Amino acid sequence: MPSRPHITVDDLRIGYGTRVLMEHTTFQVERGTIFAILGGSGCGKSSLLRHLIGLELQQAGRIDIDGVGEPSQYEGVPPFGVLFQSGALFSSLTLAENLWLPLNRWTPMRGATAHELVQAKLDLVGLGAFAEYLPGEISGGMKKRAGVARALVLEADLLFFDEPSAGLDPISAVELDQLIITLSRDLGITVVIVTHELPSIFLVADNCIVLDKAAKGIVARGDPRKLRDESKIPFVHAFFTRSSYDVTANPGG
Amino acid sequence: MSVALRADREGGHAILVATGPFDLAHATEVTQAVRDAEASLNGCRSVDVELAQIDRIDGAGAVLLARLLDRLEADGRQASVKGDNPEAARLIALYRERRTVLPAPQIRTKNPLTRIGAVVAHLPGKANDAFDFIGRCAVAIPKAAVTPSSVDWRSLPRLMQEIGADALPVTSAANLVVGIIIGLLGISELGRFGAISYVPELVVVAHFRELGPLVTAIVVAGRSGAGLASKMATMKVSEEIDALRSMGFDPVRWLVLPRCLALAVTVPLLTWVGDLLALVGGLVATVVMTDMTPHAYMEGTLKAITASNLLTGLIKAPFLALAIGLIACGQGLLTRGGAAAVGARTTTAVVLSIFSTIVISALFTLFFALMGA
Repeated sequence: MPSRPHITVDDLRIGYGTRVLMEHTTFQVERGTIFAILGGSGCGKSSLLRHLIGLELQQAGRIDIDGVGEPSQYEGVPPFGVLFQSGALFSSLTLAENLWLPLNRWTPMRGATAHELVQAKLDLVGLGAFAEYLPGEISGGMKKRAGVARALVLEADLLFFDEPSAGLDPISAVELDQLIITLSRDLGITVVIVTHELPSIFLVADNCIVLDKAAKGIVARGDPRKLRDESKIPFVHAFFTRSSYDVTANPGG
Repeated sequence: MSVALRADREGGHAILVATGPFDLAHATEVTQAVRDAEASLNGCRSVDVELAQIDRIDGAGAVLLARLLDRLEADGRQASVKGDNPEAARLIALYRERRTVLPAPQIRTKNPLTRIGAVVAHLPGKANDAFDFIGRCAVAIPKAAVTPSSVDWRSLPRLMQEIGADALPVTSAANLVVGIIIGLLGISELGRFGAISYVPELVVVAHFRELGPLVTAIVVAGRSGAGLASKMATMKVSEEIDALRSMGFDPVRWLVLPRCLALAVTVPLLTWVGDLLALVGGLVATVVMTDMTPHAYMEGTLKAITASNLLTGLIKAPFLALAIGLIACGQGLLTRGGAAAVGARTTTAVVLSIFSTIVISALFTLFFALMGA
């Protein structure tokens, strides 16, 4: 019997005031997979992510995270971790303190055990030697990896990544992609990535949806490699092959 | 099922049978179980951890078991995992494989003398930064005169509004209250000698020469200085300053000069308005608390207002304003790091600005005293 999807989005409409960014959006994310939300700038990728993690309330439709329900209504130990685009580490705290903060809020662990767990998460992302560094003292790639460690510290089985490769050099970007693969394959974590970095998409994503601003929703879904090779939709083909695409000629994508 | 790590011993070999949930929610119990099991392993040369009966495991449980195995091996014992639980085995292996062996942490000394030494050792660097910034500002003035387009003159009216006009209510209120305080103090002290008629002169001399510029400058440092420092610091950490440089602008000319100029123009005006309100404060206090009529008070005040009393105060004001502007902008431009650095620099800017205004005011007083003014 197939397992229940980790995330179910049903007939979602999101927007701000009278401005609708996306409507009639339906998709599912299977447990333990790496799922990419793709699309050009301004298509609503990051807005969709903000709705999925409960920071914004949708105008219509349903978001259901297994075991949590509607994320914006959920209170308690966060059931997922989030890596924000900038890392969003607290600049006045060391990396270890950044990880210790949620642990201290949501678990009774203190002292040596908490230290051991924090250190292990930093080790996992390759930052074991930087526990006492402030975010301002490390590079952009290291900040993102520290953000991943913080997202992992409460042992969530679902992680959201907002533009993980943005602003990173190619080597750091590949290292982060490898880390995402490790998290999914070795820890069984479901990963949802918002990105438009093609090398990263082809390397890590099992499945994806492609959003289009003009269509106000999903224009394609499936394995990104297959979409690249087989999709007949002009926007999707242009997106995956980095070719030019005349939006005015194809307003519906 | 509760968490347990039972030790089954056979001579020099032990099997630690793990049962129950080994996850974050039970991490405290897991820690205790690991500690108890470790204590019961004296004399064992080899240890197997049996994973088959673990209910549930996540990263937290895996870390605690992985570190137990690490410690056993570091102690010279053979340690391994067994049992049909591939998920647990994989997690434990992952955390063991990715462990960073750190050097022993350096013990940080708390010796007060060491701390004082560290602070003193930083002073030359800080002084160098300050002189470097003052030098750049000094060079910027003639350069700005030669190329006026390198200064953001269009922002000047807005800055004068924000730094000066918007501060008027608070500086006025502060000066009014100080005028009342001087008046009450004069009534109390001079009244003992029957010299109430000298209260208007006391208010004029004390406020015009010393307290007016000082109180105004302190309020401006706390309000506008903090605002300037935090704005500049935020621009620095968000790379706006770097963007200006990359486009060929000199941040000192483009940003610092208009701000210092706005302060130098508005602080004397605020001081002058503050002086007037201090006179009102002194008048109210004296008329309410004594028999002196408003007319008599005004006569005494007008007699005391001399060019010397008025100008010694007003001459100071632009220098105090420049000190506030230079310190606030300088601290902002020296910011490195993130949000915490912005807060720290703003605090430093306010403290230094207030302290500097007091010192500069005292130096002016000394100078005027020596000159007999």
